Amino acid sequence: MTVQQTHRRGGGYLERPAPSGLADVIEVILDKGIVIDAYVRVSLVGIELLTVDARIVIASVDTYLRFAEATNRLDLFEQGGKDLGEFVGDLQEGGASKKTSGAIQGVKKALTNDSDTSKDDDRPRPAKRPARRVRRSEDA
Amino acid sequence: MTRLATATAGPSITDQTPVPPTGYYVYGMVRAGVRLPDNLVGIDGARVHTIEHGDIGAVVAEISLERPPGRRSELLAHGAVLDTLLVHGVAVVPVQFGSFLADDATVVEDLLEPSASHVAQLLDEFTGRAQYNLRATYHESVVLAEIVAADPDISALRDLTRALPEEAAYAERVHLGEMVARALDDKRRLDASLLHRAIEPFAAASVERAGSGTDHLLDVAVLVADDASGEFEVRLEEVAESVHERIHLRLLGPLVPYDFVGAF
Repeated sequence: MTVQQTHRRGGGYLERPAPSGLADVIEVILDKGIVIDAYVRVSLVGIELLTVDARIVIASVDTYLRFAEATNRLDLFEQGGKDLGEFVGDLQEGGASKKTSGAIQGVKKALTNDSDTSKDDDRPRPAKRPARRVRRSEDA
Repeated sequence: MTRLATATAGPSITDQTPVPPTGYYVYGMVRAGVRLPDNLVGIDGARVHTIEHGDIGAVVAEISLERPPGRRSELLAHGAVLDTLLVHGVAVVPVQFGSFLADDATVVEDLLEPSASHVAQLLDEFTGRAQYNLRATYHESVVLAEIVAADPDISALRDLTRALPEEAAYAERVHLGEMVARALDDKRRLDASLLHRAIEPFAAASVERAGSGTDHLLDVAVLVADDASGEFEVRLEEVAESVHERIHLRLLGPLVPYDFVGAF
């Protein structure tokens, strides 16, 4: 796992992870590439589930409730002065994402928990929320 | 994971010597005549080679047909083979993970012959270029605060729903969320078009990738010429700096052009 920090230039505002972590590899590779008819045989339970779960579209009411919850959690006006970074943290700690992402996180865990090498993010970007990363299965 | 072992129960009763059937795992397609990097190995450590026909060749390695892949190490191996080709400057059209063919004849008849002209065209497009995945996400609390501040109706509804217990204002909360989601969509359209404008001069092609979530802004695959990639990155760094209080930019690449196999 070559964790090459590639902040080659500038102030480093652009996050440049090395694409070697499993999460990125799944996102980059799975379901991509030329499809050969009838010969594709991916068997593992975990990955099949992952591709299926990725197609889940969260019902709009749930989505709206998530937005409402996130909006209501804002304390910007009442308290003022609180550091923005803390807000970001707060939102991720207890957001609605936790409620909706259980199944998919389970799958992801199945794929990632047999090693410690899949941590590709070394910057505190907003936590990965697999449930929110809905991938389309265009023509599959 | 133990299920794998039991799922691959042996083949039917046989009195022959138990030679497990093997086939070819297909990684991608290249121009005929290209030299693969030495000692390139794929899934199960099998040596990777090409099977050529006409102007193109399939990048393959032997694999047991009784054990279709699906473990993380196999996905990583698939990616590693293609990445190695990219690093060595070999233009490659990636084939979907988990693709098998039975033998040399089927590689030619079922894969290379039918796809020859399309693949040759893709290889022309991919030569000297690589894919970059750009993901833009909002700092959620910042843009939500913008939205609340900009719309008195949203602000009022927020005050109302915040003051009530969760169960008491279900309809109001759905309505609030709907208004916020709409406002965020508008914001997204605007910000995404700005990002697209920054990308455009460097993009031989681009494909939007799906995304969702309250912080999603833009997820796009961009095909960039190798000799423009430095400038591309510098430009994105400038953009990232100028928007960093609201938006986070993450750039992955160079990658094999996975998202562009259907683009040309």
